[in-house]
Amino acid sequence: MRFILVDKIVELEPGKNIKAVKTLHATEEFFQDHFPSFPVVPGVLLTEMMAQAAGKCLDAERKPRGKAMLVRIKSAGFHDWVPPDQEVIIHAEIKNNQDSYATAECRIETENKTVCKAELFFAFLTYDHFALDYRDEILETYLAIKKESACIQ
Amino acid sequence: MTYEETLAWIADIFEESKENIHPELSRTEIAAWDSLGTLTLLARLDEDLDIRLSEHDMSELKKVQDIIEILKRHNKIMNQ
Repeated sequence: MRFILVDKIVELEPGKNIKAVKTLHATEEFFQDHFPSFPVVPGVLLTEMMAQAAGKCLDAERKPRGKAMLVRIKSAGFHDWVPPDQEVIIHAEIKNNQDSYATAECRIETENKTVCKAELFFAFLTYDHFALDYRDEILETYLAIKKESACIQ
Repeated sequence: MTYEETLAWIADIFEESKENIHPELSRTEIAAWDSLGTLTLLARLDEDLDIRLSEHDMSELKKVQDIIEILKRHNKIMNQ
């Protein structure tokens, strides 16, 4: 599987909050093992969804500090199972946004029910660490659409 | 915070037992006082005590006593 755990950004206020969606389909190989005849999305992937969404929210500020990288899971709790093919809604709110670190309070909902929560801690890594042509397609697509609709208005 | 609470607060940040933390303990003797530990300390100073330091300030900290001195300068440790 690719490690892109956000399908689409729905709402974004750079550096403040984000709402995004993701669906993991039943064809993903890991569902065979997690668990046989009881497939559910692993908690680590739910946590990564929240980290990627919060990271995009921070990266959207385009500050020279670099790309947000998850360095600590301060807390995480899983309240319900998420089955394959279930679209989840990922929310992240940035609570403390400094030059060298940031914290985010995140949650995932399915059908208006919170299935997990996490408090995440990020540091930043300058973009010279990444491939020169590295682009966050999901974030760039959202920002381009947003810019286009602002021009039309 | 009392002095004892201060040591417990520092122990919590570096995931050490309170008994292991004393003023002369150096940065190199605390396993979790690495780059992540430094950022965690920076964040906890801000979030718990409203003390904002730069990364440069943080790089000057060499032992537990240096953290205690910062808290004293900001009047965060009660006199016994």
